[in-house]
Amino acid sequence: MSNAGALGSGPINSVRAAVILATFLGGLVTGVVTYAATDKGSDANPYASLPRAGEPAVGADVARALANDDARALANQLDQEVLQQLQSAIEPLADIRSMKFVGAVEKNGRTLAAYVAGGRTSDGTDVLIGFVLRVTGDQIVGVN
Amino acid sequence: MFGLNLIPPIARTALAMLIVGGLMGYAGTAFATTLVADSGVLGGGGESNDAHKYMMALLQRESESLSRLRPTRDVVSRALEQQNASQQRQDVKPLSVTYLGGGSSGRISVHIYAVEIQAGGGQYQFFPLALTIVGGKVVRVE
Repeated sequence: MSNAGALGSGPINSVRAAVILATFLGGLVTGVVTYAATDKGSDANPYASLPRAGEPAVGADVARALANDDARALANQLDQEVLQQLQSAIEPLADIRSMKFVGAVEKNGRTLAAYVAGGRTSDGTDVLIGFVLRVTGDQIVGVN
Repeated sequence: MFGLNLIPPIARTALAMLIVGGLMGYAGTAFATTLVADSGVLGGGGESNDAHKYMMALLQRESESLSRLRPTRDVVSRALEQQNASQQRQDVKPLSVTYLGGGSSGRISVHIYAVEIQAGGGQYQFFPLALTIVGGKVVRVE
């Protein structure tokens, strides 16, 4: 008897499972569509954007020297004024552990090359610092 | 309760599945789109929504919006900030704002922009701005 009952309820259970699965999937799709319809996202940039430029070679050299903790290379590549600007820009980073070129733009022969440096302060706190090398020709003329 | 007993069990279950599916779809999409937008996996460069809002408020001199995106400060500091904003020259015209890129580590993220402006006297300036964001608040602007 019980076997006959189980066999008899088989198709019904299948229909029931299909209906439940279908409504769940329907709900999932409705949720995605509702989010897409109500999400405002970021406001569009009302200003123009400049085209991207590649990483300047001098910038790559400086980034490599910073990442390798190579003070001699930095001293050879940058004059004292620019070195002081770089010191201020990466403050309070004392121990650089990572260095990443994130992007550059060029306008009227002036290139801004952006980097993100990660590491630790003198008291061991993890920090992330962004700085920008200002490049004219093949020379670094400033750091922000 | 609430007349739910009047609804057939299969319809009750289906309704519950619809609600659960809807909530999961909504929350999952919100989580995924935020993750993808901030990481820059599908283009967009990983620009943070907070950094974007801050830059727009800065260039449009919306001191109220700027205050909301900065850490909570005392009332005198906020008053000084509003006074400074109103005394700034109104004839500075932003020409372009380009998101260069950024990085993040834990709650800290850095976002860097290149800005071109034309001052009232015709003076042209092309300079970078690096925003450091901690927990959705802009803590450093350079």
